[in-house]
Amino acid sequence: MGWEEKQVRGYSEFVRTAQSCHGRPIFALFCGDKDAEGKSWCPDCVTAEPVVRKELHNMPDGSVFIYCLVGDRAYWKDPNNEFRKNLKLTGVPTLLKYGTPQKLVEEECFKAELVRMLFTED
Amino acid sequence: EAAKYEKKVLVLDFVKPTPLGNSWGLGGTCVNVGCIPKKLMHQAALLGQALQDARKFGWQFTEEVNHNWMTMTESVQNYIGSLNWGYRVALREKSVTYENAYGEFVGPHTVKTTNKRGVEKLYTAERFLIATGERPRYLGIPGDKEYCISSDDLFSLPYCPGKTLVVGASYVALECAGFLAGLGLDVTVMVRSILLRGFDQDIANKIGEYMKEHGVKFIREFVPIKVEQIEEGTPGILKVTAKSAKGDEIIEGEYHTVLLAIGRDSCTRNIGLDKVGVKINEKTGKIPVNDEEQTNVPYIYAVGDILQDKLELTPVAIQAGRLLVRRLYAGATNKCDYVNVPTTVFTPLEYGACGYSEEAAMEKFGEENIEVYHSHFWPLEWTVPSRDNNKCYAKIICNIQDNERVIGFHVLGPNAGEVTQGFAAAMKCGMTKEQLDNTIGIHPVCAEV
Repeated sequence: MGWEEKQVRGYSEFVRTAQSCHGRPIFALFCGDKDAEGKSWCPDCVTAEPVVRKELHNMPDGSVFIYCLVGDRAYWKDPNNEFRKNLKLTGVPTLLKYGTPQKLVEEECFKAELVRMLFTED
Repeated sequence: EAAKYEKKVLVLDFVKPTPLGNSWGLGGTCVNVGCIPKKLMHQAALLGQALQDARKFGWQFTEEVNHNWMTMTESVQNYIGSLNWGYRVALREKSVTYENAYGEFVGPHTVKTTNKRGVEKLYTAERFLIATGERPRYLGIPGDKEYCISSDDLFSLPYCPGKTLVVGASYVALECAGFLAGLGLDVTVMVRSILLRGFDQDIANKIGEYMKEHGVKFIREFVPIKVEQIEEGTPGILKVTAKSAKGDEIIEGEYHTVLLAIGRDSCTRNIGLDKVGVKINEKTGKIPVNDEEQTNVPYIYAVGDILQDKLELTPVAIQAGRLLVRRLYAGATNKCDYVNVPTTVFTPLEYGACGYSEEAAMEKFGEENIEVYHSHFWPLEWTVPSRDNNKCYAKIICNIQDNERVIGFHVLGPNAGEVTQGFAAAMKCGMTKEQLDNTIGIHPVCAEV
């Protein structure tokens, strides 16, 4: 059955998508917006994305991978943005397993071993 | 710590499910079914009390405030889950291999691991450290494993325990009884003989009195002999039959939940210690070690609750483990100091202690050589809501022959743990009564007494 990817932008779209996949393992990668050339304002996100993508095949069958762009730099820096308030995100990039306390933040996302552990952890 | 010194390390952690099927993640007892959830639930109960006091300080709310067990338990378990995950990440970042598998010795320098799917692997190593801890003891009476729960089950119980009978008078029993009552539940404690064996008995009795006055029922000098299920459910209804410890009297009672807290047994019996010749105390299961945490087999070490004659406390185990590794791989010489280790019991009225109890001091030094200074005190925060004015208590025990050095410190009152920590450091420096007297107090706090 494999896994599938959904790309979303902004908090409401993220929540709607996550809710529609209720019952399946959901992993989400949150990154800063990309410009016209496809480059993010967040340099750590640029480093982390390929590392994470390389490990996606380790996710359990039936998983959903949500790739979520959070917004521009100004939105992210606002301490009251919805991602910080509701999902308790503290930084980008963040890779998490939705509905559990398991997550990797910033430089932790650069490490293939940690990413693999998150995807395969029981 | 060992990975810091570039050693190749393998950690084996496996939780045998409780009789009711409960299990948990990486981190040991303290994190999963001990100190952490206990303190959080104790805090939940304290907050309930604070809500009662709040009205006297001017907060106006008319609704009756109720407690939701599921909300509290979910938050607590969520936090524990983040700790389990944090440890997984930390181990991986330091290149420590972790296996969720049951380890046992099968021969010299060799362990066999079995994971929950039954897959076996063999590993060899230069040195081994055993830190398998303990699990709650059961009574050995009909119905105990089928119907009773232990602290292993309580902190993740998926339903409110309701009317509860706590069997035991250990700190685990009293702390649990304390916060369950604080959350508004009907709680009874069944005690075979004394409260808090090993702790200062003068204080133990004060703790019991306080709990009694605040709604916890005590049945003294009885032991359960049978537990039967009258009604199934979550919770159901259980009938407990108990016999007097002093005679033939039999009593019966009905409860929603029976929590056993009568002691903990070391997990040293089924890990193949006999195959490598590690001596254990056959009666208690504990492992005797020298003052460098080494067993009778030179390449096998042990730390934590399984050690014979050592304190069963998380920070002690952590310190012993760290120092051991530094001695082995970093040329350090410090040994773990087991003297003057402070502790706190988180009963509704908290008790912090460091050093000798009054009985132990009298036995060791002779009654005529010790001087006890004590005082009741009334926390300022308790005055306005008219809470008890003669329950909080502090005492120090001094050795007259040694410059009145403070050898025992005991405080019974709010935030006892926070208060005790600093005094423990002072005692390690050999504080005398005179030095204590010369230290000006902070006002208005409980610690100034």
